[in-house]
Amino acid sequence: MPATDFQGTFGRSFLSFRRDQVDSNTPAAGSSGHSMEAELDSFQRQVAEKFTDLNASGDGDGELLSLEWIGKLLDSFLCCQEEFRAIVFNHRSQISTSPMNRLISDYFERSIKALDVCNAIRDGIEQIRQWQKLSDIVISALDSRRTVGEGQLRRAKKALVDLAIGMLDEKETSLAHRNRSFGRVKDSHSHHRSMGHFRSLSWSVSRSWSASKQLQALASNLNTPRQNDVVASNGLAFPVYTMASVLLFVMWVLVAAFPCQDRGLQVNFFVPRQFQWAAPVMSLHDKIVEESKRRDRKNCCGLLKEIGRIEKSSRVMNELIDSIHFPMSEEKEIEVKQRVEELVEVHEALKNGLDPFERKVREVFHRIVRSRTENLDSLC
Amino acid sequence: MEKPVDHATESSETIPHKSNDLENTNHPDESEHQSQNNNPTETATTPESESSQLSLPQVMEAVDDFIQSLSSSTDPLQEIPPAVEPFPETVDSLVSKMESSGLGRDESEDSAFIDAVNRISISVIRLRELNLDSTPVSSWLNRASSVQHRAVSLLDEEFRHLLDRSNKKKNGDEHNNHDESDNNNPPQEEKTFPDIPPESIPTLKKIAGAMISAGYETECCMSYETSRRHAFKEELSEIGFEGINVDDVQRIPWESLQGEIASWISIVRRCSSVLFPGELSLCRTVFPEQDHASLRKGLFTGLVSAVTIRFLDFSGAVVLTKRSSEKLFKFLDMYETLRELIPAVEESDSDLIQEIKLSQTRLGEAAVTIFGELENSIKTDIGRTPVPSGAVHPLTRYTMNYLKYACEYKDTLNQVFQHYEKAETDETEPEPERHQREDDEEYKTSAFARQMIRVMELLDANLEVKSGLYRDPSLRSIFLMNNGRYILQKIKGSIEIRDLMGQAWTRKRSTELRQYHKSYQRETWGKVLQCMNQEGLQVNGKISKTALKERFKIFNNMFDEIHKTQSTWIVNDEQMQSELRVSIAALVIPAYRSFFGRYKQHIDSGRHTDKYVKYQPEDIESVIDDLFDGNPASMGRKRT
Repeated sequence: MPATDFQGTFGRSFLSFRRDQVDSNTPAAGSSGHSMEAELDSFQRQVAEKFTDLNASGDGDGELLSLEWIGKLLDSFLCCQEEFRAIVFNHRSQISTSPMNRLISDYFERSIKALDVCNAIRDGIEQIRQWQKLSDIVISALDSRRTVGEGQLRRAKKALVDLAIGMLDEKETSLAHRNRSFGRVKDSHSHHRSMGHFRSLSWSVSRSWSASKQLQALASNLNTPRQNDVVASNGLAFPVYTMASVLLFVMWVLVAAFPCQDRGLQVNFFVPRQFQWAAPVMSLHDKIVEESKRRDRKNCCGLLKEIGRIEKSSRVMNELIDSIHFPMSEEKEIEVKQRVEELVEVHEALKNGLDPFERKVREVFHRIVRSRTENLDSLC
Repeated sequence: MEKPVDHATESSETIPHKSNDLENTNHPDESEHQSQNNNPTETATTPESESSQLSLPQVMEAVDDFIQSLSSSTDPLQEIPPAVEPFPETVDSLVSKMESSGLGRDESEDSAFIDAVNRISISVIRLRELNLDSTPVSSWLNRASSVQHRAVSLLDEEFRHLLDRSNKKKNGDEHNNHDESDNNNPPQEEKTFPDIPPESIPTLKKIAGAMISAGYETECCMSYETSRRHAFKEELSEIGFEGINVDDVQRIPWESLQGEIASWISIVRRCSSVLFPGELSLCRTVFPEQDHASLRKGLFTGLVSAVTIRFLDFSGAVVLTKRSSEKLFKFLDMYETLRELIPAVEESDSDLIQEIKLSQTRLGEAAVTIFGELENSIKTDIGRTPVPSGAVHPLTRYTMNYLKYACEYKDTLNQVFQHYEKAETDETEPEPERHQREDDEEYKTSAFARQMIRVMELLDANLEVKSGLYRDPSLRSIFLMNNGRYILQKIKGSIEIRDLMGQAWTRKRSTELRQYHKSYQRETWGKVLQCMNQEGLQVNGKISKTALKERFKIFNNMFDEIHKTQSTWIVNDEQMQSELRVSIAALVIPAYRSFFGRYKQHIDSGRHTDKYVKYQPEDIESVIDDLFDGNPASMGRKRT
């Protein structure tokens, strides 16, 4: 399903922002402070529910940081964003006054930083696609429905070597690859269909862009609202803070999961307990940090579960192939078949999930842009 | 591990026709004219242990038979025919040979090689499908598949090498003309894209075909994609495309950002007109088979998407910046550039086209907002200080110039506003503000025309209010004339606006102008004319000298006053200025001349004639010529 112009759950397009004279803050609308409180409360509750859900489903087998789970995370973000947008709309007369104008403008600046993260992730997704193609080669070479000859093993081996190189953490392949000019290497046997090459072709962000710095920028000055701001804004400071925190968390997860330029996860992320959603979010955060410290995932290029599975399956397959001498024993044949099936499983999950996921990331990009342009247009 | 293969002695003949037997003592002087098209004129000795004597074409023919037999035979194959047995090693030696010489040098050599590779591929594929048990078969299959892999890997290498070879790279330096350039095209000022030497193309086609037949479609596509992406990246950076982050764009001041936008526009245009079509053409050339349509589409989509999305990132970033009126036209330029891009990517996935349209929508929305700012700036221009001298108001100038410039984009603005209106009507609330005008055709069809008219009407209303700031009704009229004239001239001066606003609208404005003119005349000159009226001058059949003197006095005072005041007034439009003067003259001079002529003599007799008759008829004209000059009149003008 292509990216669509999402109209929002409230059936109003931003265009009617400009003509409406009445908003919920004016007495004529008949709303009272009480209903505003309820509105803000409902928002906090919704966010909490979403993250409690995510926390729970993250507990299942290998669910956390799987493509599907991250997809759910993005869906949750989009929902919260819509609610937030509605709240801002309902109280738009306040938005142009202090302190909300300052707070909102700060929020939008952050959201713009998030756009670059969305774009950078695209390159990571593209890399994964290349790995998929390589594992596709392995799968079709070792297809047990046909005789597997020595040539097929070599073909699979070659693809697996390329895959292993391609999955090396960016830092390990080092600057040599990044700045490498694409000249013909005459000693052709060492010239792999190198993923280093492919990585140097990534171009969604500028050369100097850093995921780690961007996350830090998203996290900087993200403080719980000051008391006088809360009062002066009639409590609207809270949803702004909430949204900014959710934004940071989501971007952090994306950077954690996918290969991207200068991928660093060191970020001060802490939410005080007073917020309903603090507990589930912090719990997820801690689980993911733990995941990143695990021995076998410490130097990986991305924490996405599927990446780990590909890495593992391909490594195992590689070792298996190395151990095979022709003629292949039946034992080995069976083993090969099993490993191929494992690889097929991961491959299928990715094949079906990757494109829709990329569209979701794109949708996040679009919504953030739209929410910002609405705000800009309403200021005119 | 492949067995080391004895290479055939290197011969100067272009076609490998020797087998892998080193000792070719059996055929020392025989001229062997070989060609690809099988020419089995040599007597094939019985295919036994002497199979090494078979020429390559003969072996290939035997392989063909073998492949045939695999499909048709019902009995499971137990053995490999002797003629076919050494085929893997034959091909292997070919691979080694081609490895050192490379493809793309000799077409017949390449074709022979590829034919061999195709045959071994097909043999391997068929045999694999049969899942045979026999050991000699398996052993042959292993050797054959190893060689096949080696051969196809070489093809892959060569494929990439040929793709990466560009005219520029071969010459080493794009500005110099090296002597040993083995390509026929001299370095050109206008580089073509893709920049692949034309002689490489047939080889690329052959290799692609062979790789796909061999079942190595994925490898082939990956190599193609990697190479093309790299070429694109280089090309783009050469024409000045830099990745700028969305965040950074927000910090660039508008003056510099305009430059980036201009650069973006020219780059995207180049993609639309040259790079993308070139890419599509290359794709079709290298992968021409009907069967490969979806493969082509995949490759093309992958390439143009990766590039286009980067362009859309930039336009998305630009649209996030604060709205201001100076940005309108650049936004519209970007909108148009994206519109031109769509046809160039038609052959790709529809997702991409949706993305482009979405970016256009954002630009369009911004344009609507900015244009709406024009309305706001009119509404909020409520200064209480009237423009001195009743001249054209700056607001009028600004608005009309803006509209005139906007009309150069009228088709795009129309598109943009249509989209906006459509989105609006999706809402449940009806739009109450639309004014219906039946007389103008374009109004009915053009969303932008409606916007223009709205703006004009707002301007008119504003000017109406401003005119009220003048206490002097004559000045009020002059003010309205000045501004109305300016507006009319601007409209008449531009075909686009004129067509947009329609004939009737223009006529109406002309009519209004005439009415202001008439008002002015009435206000200023009505009383003056009145005092030259004959009525009341005769008392009991005789001319009353007193009354007459009074009349002249009144005339002089009025006239002086008008002179003094209205000389400082301005009529900006030269033509209108002269028209006004002419009309005043036509009104006043005859009347005065007649009055003067008839009644002067009645005062003449006394002294102090000058006291009463200040102006000769000729003087009236010079005074009128002073009017609307914007300069204080020199009142000391003497009569001639």
